[in-house]
Amino acid sequence: MDPFATLGIERRFDVDLPAVERRHRELSRALHPDKYADAGASERKATLSKAVEVNEAWRIVREPITRAEALFKLAGITVGERNEPKPSGELLMAAMDLRETLDEAKTKRDLKAIETLAGQVDAHRRAAEEKLRAGFADGDGKRAKIEALVPVLGELRFHKRFLDEVSAIEDAIAEADVAAQD
Amino acid sequence: MLLEIFDPKARPRPVGIDLGTTNSLVAFVKNERPVAIEDCNGAALLPSVVAYAENGVVVGDGAKVRAADHPRDTIVSAKRFMGRGADDAETRRMGPYEFVTPAAGEANVVKFRVGAGTGWERTITPVEVSAEILRALVRLAEDELSSIGGAVITVPAYFDDAQRQATKDAGRLAGLDVLRLINEPTAAALAYGLDKRKNGTFAVYDLGGGTFDVTILVLEDGVFQVKSTGGDSALGGDDMDRAIAEEVFTQIGDGESAQGAVRSTSGAPGARTPALIRVVLDASRAMKHALTEADHAEAQIPTKGGDKTVHIERSRFDALIAPLLDRTGLACRRALKDAGLTKDQLDGVILVGGATRVPAVRAFVAKSFGKEPLADIDPDQVVALGAAVQADLLAGDGPKDDFLLLDVLPLSLGIEVGGGVVDKILPRNTTIPAAARASYTTQEDKQTGFEIHVVQGEREMVADNRSLARFTLRGIPPMAAGMAKLEVTFRVNADGMLDVDALETTTGVHQQVLVKPSYGLDDETVEKMLMDALDYGEDDLRLRRLAENRVEAHRLLTATGKAVANDGALLIAGERESITVAMRGLEEAASEENPAKIHAAIEVLDAASKEFAGRRMNRAIARAIEGRRVDDVEITTKKERESSRSVGSTAHGTR
Repeated sequence: MDPFATLGIERRFDVDLPAVERRHRELSRALHPDKYADAGASERKATLSKAVEVNEAWRIVREPITRAEALFKLAGITVGERNEPKPSGELLMAAMDLRETLDEAKTKRDLKAIETLAGQVDAHRRAAEEKLRAGFADGDGKRAKIEALVPVLGELRFHKRFLDEVSAIEDAIAEADVAAQD
Repeated sequence: MLLEIFDPKARPRPVGIDLGTTNSLVAFVKNERPVAIEDCNGAALLPSVVAYAENGVVVGDGAKVRAADHPRDTIVSAKRFMGRGADDAETRRMGPYEFVTPAAGEANVVKFRVGAGTGWERTITPVEVSAEILRALVRLAEDELSSIGGAVITVPAYFDDAQRQATKDAGRLAGLDVLRLINEPTAAALAYGLDKRKNGTFAVYDLGGGTFDVTILVLEDGVFQVKSTGGDSALGGDDMDRAIAEEVFTQIGDGESAQGAVRSTSGAPGARTPALIRVVLDASRAMKHALTEADHAEAQIPTKGGDKTVHIERSRFDALIAPLLDRTGLACRRALKDAGLTKDQLDGVILVGGATRVPAVRAFVAKSFGKEPLADIDPDQVVALGAAVQADLLAGDGPKDDFLLLDVLPLSLGIEVGGGVVDKILPRNTTIPAAARASYTTQEDKQTGFEIHVVQGEREMVADNRSLARFTLRGIPPMAAGMAKLEVTFRVNADGMLDVDALETTTGVHQQVLVKPSYGLDDETVEKMLMDALDYGEDDLRLRRLAENRVEAHRLLTATGKAVANDGALLIAGERESITVAMRGLEEAASEENPAKIHAAIEVLDAASKEFAGRRMNRAIARAIEGRRVDDVEITTKKERESSRSVGSTAHGTR
């Protein structure tokens, strides 16, 4: 599936998300099962599968990681964690340091430290996204240039996972606080 | 002929039903506004209480008064047991019921024993109890409307698949055509949105009798788009009653110290017999209501040692429920985070559910969101009113282009993989309808079966999530480990309900997969219950099918007629004629008495208009992409042809 075509938008990393969201909304208005409650079976089936496809396309395009994955795939480059090159030693070292600091902060339940750490990683995340944006714009569909961006996707995955973990830790601390009052 | 069958005066009207933990109600759209249907005493709320007795079943206030004398035969808050397992911890909490443990091999559903030790002893499921409530609402609605044309039933947003399925089963069992299940907070937002016609971002804080939901949604140009939802399907006003009840039992001296234990062995004056538990819970609820206005409430409790007066201060009550409110706070925090918003970005907070009348709840919401909540539509009625609006959008005659609900999947769906870990296939807060696929392979050489365990929830380990279904894909030809490719597809429809499909792709073996619900009733059981409940004979069944097929025929004829009239330009040579012939055939079939013939004629019309429908869909897509609404554009024929061609090629490219 080409999610960009499904949404009728240009195939690029640098998308205008509010505009795409509006497009998703208009397509939903045209295709949602509610609009076909009275229709015949085959019309209901056709519009439903299109509505599902539109939702899936929006889900892919709204998230930078899945959006980049889709662009790589459309350029004929296989991605997915098993197919991508291993991250550089430098990145792995930095990753281990960060994780160690996070574990320490988690043990101490030091929300301030966790927040600071999350801020740092979030800055890295934004930088990686910027690299992808510039790279895809510059690559302009040329396979070799785009292929050189694959490691950035790996970086972005790492940052995302780290931030998800931070979020889970924050939730767990909040839950423990409430449970302690019970 | 058709006009006679579908007399406009006797036209079926769609209704919205709020099937609540404590109270239920039914509403419909009258002169473009939703109104709740009241009983002959002017009450719209029907207590969700069902009493079973030798001479029949009583629902509502009549059942409520029987509760104290017949605690085990009177089912209160059945919604809390919907879609739950008999061994669920929630099932065994304070309540006076006698549960039946399912025998080995039987479906793991909650069952109550009523009429124990009498000649009419029987076991019933929460689905049957809910169906009784729905039937009572249908009777109420039928007094007001000539006939009911389908229903939208609301469910807590946080209901999982098993709980939704149970609700839909209850609807079927009550003989209703369930048009759609919609989420309660979304329904409430629909009622507010219709009322205020204002764009913005809103939070809906819905604390009902037994469930808590929080939903963050954006209202823009008539589209209600849910951004995130969270909650707790076992947290509500009932828990406040239980908290007070624990306090009451302490005051009257129940001779127990264990919190919440349901034992009745003690000889203490306030020993927890089923009858006393019922009395204390009712008194607790009454005191909770009194504390909305007063600072202090008391009640008389008849114990073995004579009547005892119990009392509670507002401040004590507030302290008792503080932990419950903190739990709602966690869900609010997470919902905001999932929506990627902070509380300052909200334009308003809407209160829904009777329990939001409690002053401490309002204060908590105001503090948590930093703004005064809106409660100008009756929080007990707002959900049913919104459901009526949705029912009207789906099956009424009102304008359909104005509003649309885009809701989400409340809890992630996944599959068990090695080591008891969940592989999430569809994450929570995915806009529905949705579908996703995942691929797996065999672990062992010559493995011919593949067990698939479907779970719902956010936790990493299978054991911490809800088990929805298990099934085995069989008949895979023996291959080396890792050679077989299994593609599992999850589909979630607009009701938020799941359908799973598995396929072995290397051999093209497509197995029909039977999904056996882990909790709940299979189709056969529901069908049998339906037959028993309605005492159908063969003739009755045929008549019922005839009526249903006629309604469908009428809907399809109306929709096709409208499509041909509006989009005649999209018809190709000869198509108008073949569609007209098929329409006449269906009209004729509908005027006769043979349901099978109507069904066949429906299929003929469907086939005749299939390609026309496809062209209409493609044009609707093209118009959406061009950012134009159907009613405010004039398209030249040439441009129109171009746009439908370009979309045709787009659709082609995506396959």
